[in-house]
Amino acid sequence: MNKLCKALAVAAATVSFAAAAAAADLTIAVPNGSEGDGLRAAAADYSAMKGIAIDIVQAPYANLFEKAANAGSTKSGAYDIVLMDDPWLPFFAENGYLEPLGAYYQAIGTDGPDNDFLAKSLAVCRSPYATGRYVCLPYVGNAQMFFYDPEQFAKNGLTQAPDTWDDVIAAGSKITAGGNQQNFGYVMRAAEGNPVVADFMPIFWSYGGEMFDANRQPNLVTPEARKAMEVFLKLKEISPPGVESFNADEVGTFMAQGTAASSINWPNWVATFEDPNQSRVVGKIAYSAIPAGTHAGSSEIGHWLMGITADSKNKQAAFDFMIWATSPEQIKKSVTRGNPPVRFSAFTDPELTSKPQFRHFPVLMEAINFSTPRPRHPKWPEIENAFGAELSKAVAGQISADEALQRANDAIAKIVAR
Amino acid sequence: MRATPPTQGLAVERWAENNLRWLLPAPTVLVLLALTVFPTIYMVTVAFQAFNPADPAASAFVGLANFGRLFTDDKFHNALGNTLLFTAVSVSVEFGLGLGFALLVDRYVQRLTFIKTVLLLPMMLPPIAVAIVWKLMYQPQFGVINDLLIRLGLEPSLWVSGHGTAMLSLIVIDIWEWTPFVFLMCLAGLAGLPSEPYEAAEIDGAGAWQKFRDLTWPFLRPVVTIIILLRMMDAVRLFDTVFIVTYGGPAGATETLSYYIYKVAFRFFDIGYAAAISLFMLALTVGFSTWLIKRMRLED
Repeated sequence: MNKLCKALAVAAATVSFAAAAAAADLTIAVPNGSEGDGLRAAAADYSAMKGIAIDIVQAPYANLFEKAANAGSTKSGAYDIVLMDDPWLPFFAENGYLEPLGAYYQAIGTDGPDNDFLAKSLAVCRSPYATGRYVCLPYVGNAQMFFYDPEQFAKNGLTQAPDTWDDVIAAGSKITAGGNQQNFGYVMRAAEGNPVVADFMPIFWSYGGEMFDANRQPNLVTPEARKAMEVFLKLKEISPPGVESFNADEVGTFMAQGTAASSINWPNWVATFEDPNQSRVVGKIAYSAIPAGTHAGSSEIGHWLMGITADSKNKQAAFDFMIWATSPEQIKKSVTRGNPPVRFSAFTDPELTSKPQFRHFPVLMEAINFSTPRPRHPKWPEIENAFGAELSKAVAGQISADEALQRANDAIAKIVAR
Repeated sequence: MRATPPTQGLAVERWAENNLRWLLPAPTVLVLLALTVFPTIYMVTVAFQAFNPADPAASAFVGLANFGRLFTDDKFHNALGNTLLFTAVSVSVEFGLGLGFALLVDRYVQRLTFIKTVLLLPMMLPPIAVAIVWKLMYQPQFGVINDLLIRLGLEPSLWVSGHGTAMLSLIVIDIWEWTPFVFLMCLAGLAGLPSEPYEAAEIDGAGAWQKFRDLTWPFLRPVVTIIILLRMMDAVRLFDTVFIVTYGGPAGATETLSYYIYKVAFRFFDIGYAAAISLFMLALTVGFSTWLIKRMRLED
């Protein structure tokens, strides 16, 4: 028994020493995909430079939100930095899960981020939006663009970038009509939830739609929303069958295979379209701003932001890393790793813009500068789900456009009232 | 000569020997308490609260309000209906096919073990891999199933993209994957049946259906009860296939209770309501299991 007790004590001590030795100096939660891969590579460079250990926890999109939210609510301090999608910021900020950055900037003698960052990129980092204190720094400059095949559009009567959604429908209808179920004028994300809402919002805004009124109540039963729905359903008619389950992957695949002539999508797909190993349309896809409706087109911004968690035990080290990772040099490096930039200097750097895989930068910068964020509400995930459920039913033909908007309005009103 | 007093170590040893029947299962009981009993009790307490993500310790007690929402939440009703439909159809078909294959193999194909191996293969694959492959096969434009249908001159289908066909598509995946399990259990049950009653029935001139109805089915009833219980509990908890293949769509056509609970808990962070739905699901499963066992025993 004595020998057994001694052996157990030695084993326990060994395990605890090993655990202490293996603890990282910083732990960063990132999503799967190029956003997370880019930050992982940057962290490896920083780790080698500073001689500190950085642990990267990578997870699929939905799981990343869960992990970060659970860590925040349990105050575990499991992550020092979270790379988050910008619509999540109100939830994290208003629940006190993020560390305000003001004091850290003051300690280095500045008020906040420098003005090389795009204004809209910084606006989404503030709580409240655009006016509040900084709780994040932008890292990946995502905003939707309109992707189209100018050759197919020109053959069907449109010899320039489509200015309006009517232009898209006119040319797209001809492409679909003559495509023999093998070629389509448009392809959309219409899977229930975030995918269909992300595709609908730019169209909604281009017809003057506003999700909430001045009292933060849902505002979907309006002529503007009705018109946007009409256009959305017309686009569905010229899209491939099965869009009811399409997400970004399916939309990207259809475009890369040359089976669809236009879509809204995120800029990370540019690398796929220009890769001869994955794409049949290398050099053939053009990029433009979101077409207009009755109002100027506005793309949906979807930046990835770095924030220090409120319960981090390494806040200063986390801030130092974030300042370094978002510096002009590192953002330029991040571009070469597949992530769109958030700095004016990167968007206009001739070393980058002279390369074919970055020829979309002028369009993307304009898209960010004229972008609109998703409504800033702490219950946005639930609101988006409720809205997406009704949009999905309308796309599937289960209910009419008017019914979808009314039901969505009622469901969202219940959510915000709770 | 003076007697040496017992050392402390000896006293500990003696105590351990006297209490061995508690000490040996203690680690297992502690793990069970930590991983099963405590979370269940915690879930019950959370179901009566309005969870506050900013300060969980300050969550307000709301009584039966979360349970009351079950009556007015049409998304919950939709998920419940989808789950019941999926469970009823998939378990019934799996049972019919599995028993049929087992009877066939037991009677005619006893020596051909490679057929048994082939029939068991789907069950051995990781469910995530199964879901990803079927999703690709179901793709309306590029999928192999529609390609085959077109080559045969038949109409292609939207499969998981169509509101009317999505649930059926998921049921097909489940049947393909889990019929082998039913087959294996039935085959094991058939292997344990006594031969004498069948010999007597043969002498009495009983036909195949009579032998099945009056001998095989009563003998197999305990095995059948276990199979239906296990498959039913698994089917009610369907999540991974929905998560990979349809995300609960299109338009909520495949949103099951498990997937809805996941969304409520981890996307909306409405932990109290998610706990209430989970308790409802637990009551549903326990209730059906109790009824089935009692029913099967009555028939005995």
